[in-house]
Amino acid sequence: MKHFTRVLAAGALLAMAGGASAQAQGTLKVGVEVPTTGSEATYGQDMYNAAAIARDEINAHGGVLGKKIQLIVGDDACDPQQAVNAASKLVSQKVVAVVGGYCSGATVPVLKIYGDAHIPFVITAANSTALIPANPGNAFLINSTGDQQAITAVKFFQHKKIKTLAIVNEGDAYSQNLADLMRTAWQKAGGKVVDFETVNKGEQDYSSVVTAIDAKHPDAVFWTAYYADGGLLIRQLRQSGYQGMIAVGDGSNSVKLFDIAGKAAEGVYAFSNPIAQFLPAAKSFIATYKKEYKAEPGPYAPLTYDGMQLLVWAMKKAGTTNAAAVEKALASANGVHWLTGPIAFTKKNTLARSNFVVLEGKNGAWIAAK
Amino acid sequence: MSLSVIIAHQLVNGLVLGSFYALVALGYTMIFGVIKLLNFAHGDLYMVGGFVGFLALSAISGVVGSGWGGIFLAMLLSMIGVGCLGVLIERIAYHPMLHAPRLSILITALAVSLVLQNAVLALTGGQYTAFHTDLGFGGIHLGPIFISYNQMVLVATAAGLMVALEFFVTHTQYGRAMRAVAIDHDMCRLMGIDVSAIIGVTFFVGTALAAAAGTMAGAYYGSLWYFMGFLIGLKAFTAAVIGGIGSIPGAMLGGLILGLLESFGTQIPGIGSAWKDVFAFAVLILVLVLKPTGLLGKSEQERM
Repeated sequence: MKHFTRVLAAGALLAMAGGASAQAQGTLKVGVEVPTTGSEATYGQDMYNAAAIARDEINAHGGVLGKKIQLIVGDDACDPQQAVNAASKLVSQKVVAVVGGYCSGATVPVLKIYGDAHIPFVITAANSTALIPANPGNAFLINSTGDQQAITAVKFFQHKKIKTLAIVNEGDAYSQNLADLMRTAWQKAGGKVVDFETVNKGEQDYSSVVTAIDAKHPDAVFWTAYYADGGLLIRQLRQSGYQGMIAVGDGSNSVKLFDIAGKAAEGVYAFSNPIAQFLPAAKSFIATYKKEYKAEPGPYAPLTYDGMQLLVWAMKKAGTTNAAAVEKALASANGVHWLTGPIAFTKKNTLARSNFVVLEGKNGAWIAAK
Repeated sequence: MSLSVIIAHQLVNGLVLGSFYALVALGYTMIFGVIKLLNFAHGDLYMVGGFVGFLALSAISGVVGSGWGGIFLAMLLSMIGVGCLGVLIERIAYHPMLHAPRLSILITALAVSLVLQNAVLALTGGQYTAFHTDLGFGGIHLGPIFISYNQMVLVATAAGLMVALEFFVTHTQYGRAMRAVAIDHDMCRLMGIDVSAIIGVTFFVGTALAAAAGTMAGAYYGSLWYFMGFLIGLKAFTAAVIGGIGSIPGAMLGGLILGLLESFGTQIPGIGSAWKDVFAFAVLILVLVLKPTGLLGKSEQERM
């Protein structure tokens, strides 16, 4: 074990030395850890594209600390084991920092590797609360975690003058967790949860739950699970004559919801991660992305772009690529914002605000809600 | 909403749900009646019925529209098509196994279930298919109770199919033969009944009923996916057992009872919807403990 730490320490020294030699060549190597193969490859490629746009913009403006940025991709394939290999490879290639991290499961095991090698890590998509205790202190999460969705939802419901709420989940870990978080947050805010229901996944008929909800006359119904069954529930709620508000969590923000629920999904609200098309600041980013890659930017592109910009901002502020100084600068980030809004961190290095946006169903598509 | 209104609403919900359970349970019970097989692929034939009905409606909706008229026609086509599939499955997978140990044919049924599920999974890529129709949200208000036209049509159709089945079983030559086969294969053969053909007819009718339920469910709820038959298959099996497996009126009764139990299980004060299945299946255990043959099941040999 002692030997192992020594090897890692040597690796860290090498990494620093690499930074020094990179300075001589006039480039800074930044690792991008995303899945570019496997089931999540489209998301990973999309995140890499966004990082590349940020790199081009930064280099066009003279780079950072007089050097140009060079991106090195580490493919974690959304697999914990492959993620460890990819991280070790990035460390051995002497990157000065890493951005990325899409799958939480593949991101948790690399935290220690970057921590031991003293490499700052800006996590731009992965947002499981499991990342928080595993963080040695060098990682910064710029995507909101689940508990923050509840905060966004509470604020939105209060804004819409909602007094009573019915919460429906599907009994699985994700939706039950969100439902519990929501119930606690809503009651803390002084709201009333008049109904708390659980339905079975894949059960087509939700009429008995719909009747139970109708009987309590809630101002709003909040569905915390996925779009397929959510579409059925929304349809059955409207069929039964329920006229209050319906809101859904980020598991249901797919446009497929409109396919299944049809007209019933008009006016439904959804809470979602910051998607480029709903970010006022992202107009030119979308244009650049479309020009470069002939496609719409995916859901985590703006966050990854921001991750790169934030990192460069921190290096400039620190005046060095020294890990401790960059981490200190990152932790002090306050109110810096690019596409997804202001970035500041809590003591646990998580985003200090909820970055969830509220969407509204209109003519079979999502638009930004007012 | 007062308690009596809630009860009335849940009664309607239970009737609709129970109609689906009953239609699927009928196939279970008929097939068990003639060859003593628990056809675990039955729920998946319901699912295939939904998809075939969807394809049929897509093909004919240009001519007949996709209101209830079009859906009925699509349902009929699906019943014929999937009924034939049921017969084909019986000929290929079950027929050679009729004299094998009971366990072998049961496992064959599980295999058929997996084959159907995975075939549809591969064809649809695991995606949900939206079943678009022109069905409106209209209905009638009986005082404070709202019943949609769709619910009425659904229950009426299911009731119509069950009456037709009852007539078929009790008043036609094939129905009489089917009841006879349920009692004794060898004796039927001695009497000149083509047992093998009657088993085929039973599979056709049973599967067609599941296909009818699948098409109606797809149109009513508005979506289809490859796994939709699993849960309803399980519930329909439960309904058949509650009513007395092998008994046709028992399957109808069992389906309605299970539908009502689930609806009211959501409403019991103090326990929420998370417990409704616990409630419904606890009743199943109770029925089996007190009356192992089911509510309308007979202890003697006759099982149709």
